[in-house]
Amino acid sequence: MIVRTFIQLWIVFGLTSMSLAAGLDCSRPYTLALHDHGLLYSADTDTGIDKDVADELIRRSGCKVTVSLMARARIWQLIESGALDFSLSGIANAERDKFAAFAWYFSNKYYLLVRKDAGVSSHIDFVQSGKLKLGVIRSFRYSESANRMVDQMHAANRINQSSGLAPLYQALMLNHIQGMIIEPFDYPTLDEKQIRDSTTIIEFNDPAVPHGLIMSKKALLPAEQEKWRALINGMHADGTMRRIFEKYFKPDLAAAMMDF
Amino acid sequence: MLIKSPRLLFLPLAVLVVCLGLTCLSWKHEHQVVDNALRAQFDYALREIVGQIEQRALAYEQTLRGLQGLFASNSLMNRQAVRDYVHTLQLDANFSGIQTIGVIKKVLPHEIAGHIAEMRRLGLAGYQIHPEGDRDFYAPVVQREPESSASLAALGLDTWADPVRRTAMEKARDSGMPALTGKVKLAVDHGEEVKPGFIMYLPIYEQGKPRDSQIDRRKHLIGWVYAAFFMGDFMASLYGSRPDDLFLEIYDDADPVKAALMYRSSSTADTPQIAETALTAREYMLVAGHTWTLMLRTKEAFLDRFGRNSASVIAVTGGGMSLLLSLLVWAMISGRSRALQLAEEMTEELRQMAQHDPLTGLPNRALFSHRVHHELAFARRYEGYFAMIFLDLDNFKPINDNHGHAVGDRVLQEVARRLKETVRASDTVGRIGGDEFVVLIPELTKAELAVGLAEKIRLAVRQPYRIDGIELSLSCSLGVAVYPEDGMDEISLSKAADEAMYRAKANGRDGVQIASRNESVTAL
Repeated sequence: MIVRTFIQLWIVFGLTSMSLAAGLDCSRPYTLALHDHGLLYSADTDTGIDKDVADELIRRSGCKVTVSLMARARIWQLIESGALDFSLSGIANAERDKFAAFAWYFSNKYYLLVRKDAGVSSHIDFVQSGKLKLGVIRSFRYSESANRMVDQMHAANRINQSSGLAPLYQALMLNHIQGMIIEPFDYPTLDEKQIRDSTTIIEFNDPAVPHGLIMSKKALLPAEQEKWRALINGMHADGTMRRIFEKYFKPDLAAAMMDF
Repeated sequence: MLIKSPRLLFLPLAVLVVCLGLTCLSWKHEHQVVDNALRAQFDYALREIVGQIEQRALAYEQTLRGLQGLFASNSLMNRQAVRDYVHTLQLDANFSGIQTIGVIKKVLPHEIAGHIAEMRRLGLAGYQIHPEGDRDFYAPVVQREPESSASLAALGLDTWADPVRRTAMEKARDSGMPALTGKVKLAVDHGEEVKPGFIMYLPIYEQGKPRDSQIDRRKHLIGWVYAAFFMGDFMASLYGSRPDDLFLEIYDDADPVKAALMYRSSSTADTPQIAETALTAREYMLVAGHTWTLMLRTKEAFLDRFGRNSASVIAVTGGGMSLLLSLLVWAMISGRSRALQLAEEMTEELRQMAQHDPLTGLPNRALFSHRVHHELAFARRYEGYFAMIFLDLDNFKPINDNHGHAVGDRVLQEVARRLKETVRASDTVGRIGGDEFVVLIPELTKAELAVGLAEKIRLAVRQPYRIDGIELSLSCSLGVAVYPEDGMDEISLSKAADEAMYRAKANGRDGVQIASRNESVTAL
């Protein structure tokens, strides 16, 4: 009796999840773009958290999804225009909320990586120094204090922009910039001895910022967005998401990032 | 005199300070607005350039992907298929950035002999892999389109032997994505001056074999397709126009040193045109995973084009207008002051005219009467005395008749002068008719003093006159009335003095009569 009930329940839940996935409109191929950014995705090795999340999402959706690599600024442009359906690890702001919907799957804090010889101990010092330059990735937004800092530095013409992370590390080592904003995905690069020895990490006192699947509102109707959001929630609920993050981070950090 | 008054200067100065302050505020505001607008325009221009380069690189990447796709159903050595593909592309002016599109084959040491034989079989008689030497991996160029004698000559070039090319090829092989070299001299570059160039590679894997992991990709790589570019041509092929008032330099990698310079928007001679106040930006862009550093700077013309001068115009115009306005206020205020002074002078003149005799300048009847009233009030309050003397010239009419009015007038003026000289400073001498004069002697202590003064006057008038060489002699009759004895008001006093004077006339002229005493003081 118990066994039969269990089997019935299993069938019911199984069918429910099946029908959810089947509920997705797979009549057209979708597009998803990755951007090269530390542990999120490395084009050199074609691996990363976003790649794993994308693979799992595509597998669960059962839809045909074309994955490509492009600069983050380009991704936001295409999401806004509706030419691109998805991207990953996006954060929201008022501007983006107008054209993008999100399905959160982790959160993280932002840090200011500065050269030791810049002699600053807070992001406020950095801004007030009047001469130090900050490197940022074009179109990137961060936590509240970090955004404020970037905007102030931009107005003072003290920003060097980049379409990727790697040149910023080079510029930092060449002392062309003295600081850049980093996330936990950028930690492996920090392990390189030269960078570790000459830099220091300063925390922004902001809460962790949720990151998620970016969905173009122009390309996907709200009902469709909800179905894709359900897939992400499913990955969260069954521990798949946590396992992906534990491939790249220590378990305690991975757990902290799942908590949002 | 007007400028000396601080009160008159205060308002124009206040207007000047306020206007200059307002000008300064609007200048600052305008400066800020213009700066922001310039910054926005400059940011936009930078974004445009980055976007154009990215788009162009993507277009070339697509071209290569087409060639990559060709090998899904063709052998790497199917030269005709490649030639047809490139021919179909019609690499016209739109694609002038591409110098050549080519194919590279992966060749291991044990495959060399077979590879050379195969190439020769395909009609390339002198084909060799170069540079020569034993290496454990070869990547010779096996085809280069469009075909020319120069491109044929360079076939067999082992690109793997060049570290710059090899780095990009490895990156493409490992990622499965397009990869770009750093700055290179292209094999087809036979010019005297080396032109900066770069090459884009895409990997070709064995058909039907897995390529999901890096290991798979390394294992199943069979070659590459590539496109080689001269940087100058690449930049010239960008869509859209680039403003010529911006100065653009592109450097290979993240360190903008001279050796890494790939592109400069204008010749070196143009660099001094860069304004000292120029906006500058440095941007690191990734083109097919490779870093280029863009250095963008504004030339003077850019700053002018976006209205940097409007702030100076505001400063100059505002300053000028402030000065003009304060001058206007000063002119208005000092003009009013001048008018007031003029009115005051005219009033004084009118008053003088109304109260004085124009011929002698002595007080007339009205002013004399006013002073009498004043003296009456004073004497009443303090119970004092004062006297009034009436004087009439004796036989004056014949002078007018005999010598004319001009001489008569001169005589009257002389009499007036003598009268003024004779009396005290506090006394008032007035002329009330043709040859009639009056004297008011205030604050008398006793009546005799008035009589004494009358007598002095009589003697002074008696002195001979010399007018224009004419000797004349003259006398006068005087009547003295004293307050309060001879009258309590002006009318009665005047009347008493007048009667006394007529008595003096009646007594034979040239004498003084006191009203109350009805007696002659002096008689000749």
